[in-house]
Amino acid sequence: MANKPAAKPSSPNQPAQKPVPPKSTASDEKRTFEPKYNWMNKTRQWGVRVKPGKAGLRLGDLNVGIYGETPTQWADQSRNPRGAVPRRGMPPVGYSIRDKAGLWADCAADLYEEAIQRRWAPATDVPWDTIEPLPDDVEHAVCQVCTELVGYANVDIETITGWQHQMSYGYHEVKQFLATASFDAARHYECFRKRALANGGGLGLEGPGMVNRMILESRGGWTEAVVYLLIMRGTFAMTLYKYLGRHAHNDAERFIYGHALADKARHVTYALDHLKYAMAHADDVLQVVRTLIAIGEGGLTRDLRDPVLAEALAVVFGRGVAKAAGRGMAVYGDMMRDYVATYLGYCQWLGVPRDPARLPPPLNEYANPTGAEA
Amino acid sequence: MALFPSVDWFDEVRNVFNADDRYRGAGGGYCNCVAGFRIAEKVFVLTFDGFECSAAAEGDDGTLDDVDFYLEMPAEAWRDMVANIAANDGADLHHTLNTLDLDREDGLATSKHGDQVREDLFFRYNQTLQFFFDASALVETEFP
Repeated sequence: MANKPAAKPSSPNQPAQKPVPPKSTASDEKRTFEPKYNWMNKTRQWGVRVKPGKAGLRLGDLNVGIYGETPTQWADQSRNPRGAVPRRGMPPVGYSIRDKAGLWADCAADLYEEAIQRRWAPATDVPWDTIEPLPDDVEHAVCQVCTELVGYANVDIETITGWQHQMSYGYHEVKQFLATASFDAARHYECFRKRALANGGGLGLEGPGMVNRMILESRGGWTEAVVYLLIMRGTFAMTLYKYLGRHAHNDAERFIYGHALADKARHVTYALDHLKYAMAHADDVLQVVRTLIAIGEGGLTRDLRDPVLAEALAVVFGRGVAKAAGRGMAVYGDMMRDYVATYLGYCQWLGVPRDPARLPPPLNEYANPTGAEA
Repeated sequence: MALFPSVDWFDEVRNVFNADDRYRGAGGGYCNCVAGFRIAEKVFVLTFDGFECSAAAEGDDGTLDDVDFYLEMPAEAWRDMVANIAANDGADLHHTLNTLDLDREDGLATSKHGDQVREDLFFRYNQTLQFFFDASALVETEFP
């Protein structure tokens, strides 16, 4: 057998030679050309022709025939796509959320399409060039608020992705929508961080994080996480975005807060729809949600007693330290009353009405339209 | 020259809005809702369907029962908003729908049905609605 010459070692200045893939041989062809095509008969429903409508071919349009069947419990423990023929002997993945009531929302497919089609890119869509130098106290306050919002977004990402992989493939509309929600959160993380670093400031002090911990450590199921993450925190974030948009200093901030608001409203819509579904289709969920809400309010009020966010918002709303205590805190009060009213409205809509007088302080103070102590 | 408010005016704005691809990107686009507008004694209804505003019609108080949400302001506030958009080629910070919503004691957006999910469409599609009214900067408008 002739020895092959040893490959010449490449010198440090020359790139290594790329290996050349061997050519196919006659035995390859023989090996691959003995087809049975048995897989061609493996389908549960053939001849499906879904047609695009005015808004294109949407995810929800695909729910025809067996492909639209979403049973109340998904027994399959594999990654088998809904409607495909299961392969025998597949090891179970071990999804913990296999009941439809544990994640479903009828609007999920539409929200997925909406999220995809209404996407925005902070790098190029935000008019960053409209940001101009602000007084030092205002820039400090804006950056402090952005630091808090970056933290919120991070919790959104971690929580959603932490539960997503435990959800059965049978309910793919929800999994896909939540993929967009975590991407929305990544976008929020990005744009608030960019705002903090775009105008001579920087990130400020980390928030107290009681609500963050409550959300991240909730172990009772996705529905519980939805109550904390999307109803309690989500509504609070939505309200913040509305007021920050109202008091934006430039078009860039206005764009960021306005678009973050639309994204967050989509997440809250999913949450409301899911909770309604869960309460209607699973025993005891209504009672559980009522209990979770009471627990969650306790965590929220501990965060609200920390003065940092309130002070920073007051400086933003008052356009400086000089008017933070007067005008700034007055707007902060308006914002909190708006938040509590929206939150109570959601609770009412869900069928778990809250007695405003029994909210823990300081929430109860904002539940009173006169602003007087409850 | 289109008179504000009138179906003709909304139709002219629709034509501008539907023809401009810029309103479909950067967080705009896909929008499905039926929005009402109470302007003085008149009621108008806009239907947003996918990427376009597909219809504008005049209605009455009963029509507002069926819309997802409706926006209500005194006639002079509507007039200020439309005039501001025309003067600035888009609403300034004090005349956006979000600002007007927050500055009003009872808000700008409401509904008769009280369905929270349908009411929240105002926030989900706020940018599209803003784009729509900003498109009115290209419509020659007269006021009564």
